[in-house]
Amino acid sequence: MLQFLSFSKKKIGNSLSIYIKTNTGNTLSVDLDPTWDIKNVKELVAPQLGLDPGEVKIIFAGKELGDSITISECDLGQQSTLHAIKITKKPPPVSPLIEESDEGKPLCETLNDRSFSNDDTQPPSGTKVHFFVYCPTCKGLKNGKLRVRCHFCKSGAFTVHADPQNWTDVLEPKQITGLCENGAEFCADILDNREPTFADFYFKCSEHTSLGEDDEAVPLYLIRPNLKDVPCLACADVNDLVFVFPCEGGHVTCLDCFRQYCSTRLRERQFWQHPEFGYTLACPAGCPDSFIKEIHHFRLLSENQYVQYQRFATEEFVLRSGGVLCPQPGCGMGILADPECTKITCISGCGYVFCRLCLQGYHIGECHISEDVNSTNNADCSYNVDPARAAEARWDEASKVAIKVLTKPCPKCRTPTERDGGCMHMVCTRAGCEYHWCWVCQTAWTRDCMGSHWFG
Amino acid sequence: MAATRRLQKELGDIRNSGLKSFRDIQVDETNILTWQGLIVPDNPPYNKGAFKIEINFPAEYPFKPPKINFKTKIYHPNIDEKGQVCLPIISAENWKPATKTDQVIQALVALVNEPEPEHPLRADLAEEYLKDKKKFTKNAEEFTKKHSEKRPTD
Repeated sequence: MLQFLSFSKKKIGNSLSIYIKTNTGNTLSVDLDPTWDIKNVKELVAPQLGLDPGEVKIIFAGKELGDSITISECDLGQQSTLHAIKITKKPPPVSPLIEESDEGKPLCETLNDRSFSNDDTQPPSGTKVHFFVYCPTCKGLKNGKLRVRCHFCKSGAFTVHADPQNWTDVLEPKQITGLCENGAEFCADILDNREPTFADFYFKCSEHTSLGEDDEAVPLYLIRPNLKDVPCLACADVNDLVFVFPCEGGHVTCLDCFRQYCSTRLRERQFWQHPEFGYTLACPAGCPDSFIKEIHHFRLLSENQYVQYQRFATEEFVLRSGGVLCPQPGCGMGILADPECTKITCISGCGYVFCRLCLQGYHIGECHISEDVNSTNNADCSYNVDPARAAEARWDEASKVAIKVLTKPCPKCRTPTERDGGCMHMVCTRAGCEYHWCWVCQTAWTRDCMGSHWFG
Repeated sequence: MAATRRLQKELGDIRNSGLKSFRDIQVDETNILTWQGLIVPDNPPYNKGAFKIEINFPAEYPFKPPKINFKTKIYHPNIDEKGQVCLPIISAENWKPATKTDQVIQALVALVNEPEPEHPLRADLAEEYLKDKKKFTKNAEEFTKKHSEKRPTD
């Protein structure tokens, strides 16, 4: 044992710095050699707790680790936390769900990709399960690892009664029961009453040194290894990593095509404001009930695109809530005002005061939509400049003019719409509006429009 | 780029399929987004000629639909004087990224063979088609003989 203690003080080339938490509230910091087994760890830790190695059990990611498991099998990263718990005399209530063969093995060894792809046709292949996460620290798509804690006290000193079998078990609360070994009073009460406590699954990024137990990552569970070699719906290539849409058929695209799908839809403002999930997309094949629930999947977009995504999402939310967006170029502040009120002031933004109905500067009386955008009332101009040319030479005005000349607002939601050839039958391009209107009449599309000026 | 890879695959498949009604596909090596080809209809009055079309794929293909234009003049209620055609399968509302160009071409050939006067692009021809089919057929046949491309002999 002394030998092991001296080992731990040497700098081993590929050693792991690990924290060991005990249920007495102490935390030990140790360096472990990845080739060691759990028995070695117990021999290292027990004396420091004043216990015999036989009195200690090591818990990690929801499992009590068996003596013969080596550190390298455990999916531990630098500065991970193991839990060392003193074994109480009473054996814990044995659950019939424990499978003898898997006992003592860490979760990463007993789970595999096949069980998480809902594919029952093939036996488990023995490969480790792959999880993908959005890591807020690394800012990107990373490999993730599954961790377990007590649903009630959030302690990691927790063992599950059964492995999660699918994504529902992992993502939905209170699916898998377990035993909290933290000894917190709350959880102890639940155990005394013979009520089960539940496992709470969460994810960490595998690609940076853990910053502590709160350093979590968001599971991007629609990204999966392509075990069945499914070709991409869009480019028809077979890729190692795929995005599986949450539709009944589970349509698949490669990650590049998923990014392209999102950016194409984003540019055209074709995301959908879902009442529960937020600003999201459905399966590109048009399947029903296929909206992406975890909107962190859109983190696969570039940084700039994600900023745009957030802006559109906010704007769409404001519009859906009956608000207006400040029409001043470069402002666009969302304003929630009394629906009766037509005089809107951009209070927290640029201060512009405008009419809710025509989105022009505020005016008294009827809205006057000027068709001639070049007309200026710039009478007191002291230089002799052609007023029309002066108007065209203004930076902000130039884009306004372009928008006015080439577009007409949707009669329903006032989104400026460009008619790029084709017939006079317009359909508002803003997802959620999709109002059918007539380019000529600027009102709802009717049979009369079809009869008299469908094609110009 | 998804568009390039997918179009190369589709082009290969269509060329290998030996489709009789769409042939002589020409694609500029430097720009796979534009295809030209010859529509060879089976039904009268269009079976007296062949019609050159151009398919333009957007850079965002297959997440946005291709556009089709007739380069050869045709006397058809669903195709206007500029060669624009209204094909539901490639309209923005109906387009699915999984739709293959092969299906688009089949839909186009079907539309050429069987005009749909209920959804016309040329109201005058649609009216003639519905009210005086004989006259329409005669006019269309003459127009085809005068303006269309030569049909391939095989």
